[in-house]
Amino acid sequence: MSTYRPKLAAVVTTYFKYSHAQHIVDRFLYGYGWKGTHYRPPMDVVSLYVEQVGEGDLSRSRSEQFPSMRIYPTIAEALTLGGSNLAVDGVVVVGEHGKYPRNEKGQTQYPRWEFFQQIIKVFKDSQRSVPMFNDKHLSWNWDWANRMVDTSREMGFAYMAGSSLPVTWRIPSVEMPLGSRIREALCVGYGGVDSYDFHGLETIQCMVERRQGGEAGVKWLQAYRGEKFWDALREGRWSRRLMEAALCRSHTLAPVRPGFNDILPTDDDLRRLLADPIAYQYEHTDGLLCTMILLNGLAKDFNFGADVEHHRSSSNVFAPLVKDFNFAAEIEGRREPFSTQMYLPMPDGRTTLADFFNPLVNNMEKMFLTGKPTYPVERTLLTTGLVAAGMESLYRQQTRFETPHLAITYQPTAESTFMRD
Amino acid sequence: MLTRREFLQTGAAAAGLLLPGAEVPIKRLAIIATIYKYLSHAQHIGDRFLVGYPYAGAWQKPAVKVVSLYVDQKPEGDLSGERAREFGFHVYPTIAEALCCGGKELAVDAVLIVAEHGDYPRNEKGQILYPRYEFFQQCTEVFKRSGRSVPVYNDKHLSYSFPKAKSMVETSRRLDFPMLGGSSLPVTFRLPELELPLGCEIEDALMVGEGGSDPMDFHALEALQCMVERREHGETGVKAVQMIEGDEVWKAGDEGRWSKDLLISALSRSDTPLGMDAAESRPEDLVSSGQLPKLVANPAAYFIEYRDGLKATLLMLDGALQDFNFAARLKDVPAVQSTQFLLTPIPNVTYSACLVHGIDQMFQTRVAPYPIQRTLLVSGILESCLTSKVQNHQRLETPHLDVAYQPPARTTFCRS
Repeated sequence: MSTYRPKLAAVVTTYFKYSHAQHIVDRFLYGYGWKGTHYRPPMDVVSLYVEQVGEGDLSRSRSEQFPSMRIYPTIAEALTLGGSNLAVDGVVVVGEHGKYPRNEKGQTQYPRWEFFQQIIKVFKDSQRSVPMFNDKHLSWNWDWANRMVDTSREMGFAYMAGSSLPVTWRIPSVEMPLGSRIREALCVGYGGVDSYDFHGLETIQCMVERRQGGEAGVKWLQAYRGEKFWDALREGRWSRRLMEAALCRSHTLAPVRPGFNDILPTDDDLRRLLADPIAYQYEHTDGLLCTMILLNGLAKDFNFGADVEHHRSSSNVFAPLVKDFNFAAEIEGRREPFSTQMYLPMPDGRTTLADFFNPLVNNMEKMFLTGKPTYPVERTLLTTGLVAAGMESLYRQQTRFETPHLAITYQPTAESTFMRD
Repeated sequence: MLTRREFLQTGAAAAGLLLPGAEVPIKRLAIIATIYKYLSHAQHIGDRFLVGYPYAGAWQKPAVKVVSLYVDQKPEGDLSGERAREFGFHVYPTIAEALCCGGKELAVDAVLIVAEHGDYPRNEKGQILYPRYEFFQQCTEVFKRSGRSVPVYNDKHLSYSFPKAKSMVETSRRLDFPMLGGSSLPVTFRLPELELPLGCEIEDALMVGEGGSDPMDFHALEALQCMVERREHGETGVKAVQMIEGDEVWKAGDEGRWSKDLLISALSRSDTPLGMDAAESRPEDLVSSGQLPKLVANPAAYFIEYRDGLKATLLMLDGALQDFNFAARLKDVPAVQSTQFLLTPIPNVTYSACLVHGIDQMFQTRVAPYPIQRTLLVSGILESCLTSKVQNHQRLETPHLDVAYQPPARTTFCRS
């Protein structure tokens, strides 16, 4: 058996406590709980590029503790280990958190595309490519995201991306049966647009891609916010039964009445408690209707994922109806909705570890070992496009946004990839 | 979704969710509580019979009407009067009156006893002297007088005293009514959804948790018990127990009295390790790194020797973690089996909905979903461990804990 340990380069925007880079790179350094043991990945992060080093930075102390992980001042040097040729076996890109500008549509311009460009330049110069993982969506810019996936295909390297939601625990631990005839699907979650909407979309997509025929792409998307959200709710644009089923999977349903724990909210309760609810509704090419709902409370325009410090200072005014992601679908042949929670043990005071990164890192490892992604990057390409389409629809006064460019077809993996043992 | 008024009017219809197609008669319920205030056990459990609860992806409305309430104490924040007014029942000054709804005979179909929280003294072993036995006795007096008995749920352990607990179970048998007790831990969500195979051969088992005695150690012991009772031949009872504290706990680990491998596995299921690295949220192996003695100022180990030879250990490691995790080694199974018993956040505490689902099942069917002997045995294990604690941490023979029973064949925790 080979004892060779693959060498990885980590290319990140910033590395502080509870940042995505910390969650991911730390797991390679320290190991993590996996299948009932403290597991150590059979590979090493040997180089690190951090674009923004500010207050609370942990990258320097990590490198001191692990001298085998050297910090390089450029992405190219991180990939070549200071030499002239690609010298690693895989690249982990974490372009989440850090101070980056937001455009007029509200999109944070994380430099995932720019990082990617610098990485493939080294691949090209070295005439060799290695597997790459990109945390969260591919880019805020749809065209760039599309080109990233095209480039990976042209250059022939394994490429994987996305959120922890598709791979974390599910409560209950259920999988969408392959080939299901899904009539409608929905997710209720929380958080800001261009950040947590992506998690909600990935929650839905990892389930509905398993339907009969596989993924067929998306025709159009319509965002609802504010009064238009209430109109859509009243008009029954999405299934109340599914929304109720999803709410019943939540562990964090906000008390709608003081002195009670949880009560199923009435429409009046929703109206009273939700200051900024948002829904993205979209129709797949094969007719499947999906709705991603963010049940946000009192703080408006809150870019949840982007700034942890901001999150903490604002948490007393940020009171969403739920603080978890819950999925529900109507499936032909089932009397009751199919529903589950994608469980995030979130270090918001309840846990100390964001262990939903364990399965994400584990899936990356499998790709770095085998050269094959464990789930298709097309899923993330589609959800990337859906985030951008949602932002676009919001920007265009919540009009329906046609998405012929999202005619993305792919087949799901037969094997389940979420954490369940 | 319905308006609140519509929702409250749909009790009977919603009950159809529980038993599809069946006509479900509404059961009249008396709640007997020490206190009824926000976030007390009585409120967590009792409210679910008033407003329903989330379970299996639907809002369940039990076919139960709360008709009476007794509260032993009315501290600041007492909600008993407010609930009674809103939901149309009476708060009675005595337990007997609550069960008879002010009349002379038993006038309810089920009784819910929640004697947790409230101002009660502790004994020298640190046990809070909640009046569960006394409440139960007063209920069964009414049963006897009325010549009729109804199902009783008793929250948490049956009594701080094993003889009292045992007499409660005997009374339920004599008067022929189903009885359910215990904690939410055995029925809550598990990560992963581990259930030990019925009839498995367990070589070693360990539970790790945290929190004060005697509320939290009871939860942990019952979680441990609901796993090990599934072993070959079922539960046989407990031969001896010992509780040790402080550095002796680490020494016992070094000597192999509890398994470090099982502790590593149990802690690998924790999402709340509080190691030196917790300030930076680094995943870590607290056992191999040798950090535990630095983190845990006063560890406690509860050793349980079963009559069939199985030895199991509960470690209470305050300062090392904040959740409850189990690990066991089974014969001929190479990998250690482990899971976390998930305690979901306050105020929803959705795990209590899992518990209420089981209670409601018993109210409706007169069959307890899992045996009261489990709770009886754990009540006795806890009492004897705390006796060991105050008797110089000696090992104590426990011939009185010859509680044998078979586990439920059906899995009863919240799962797919």
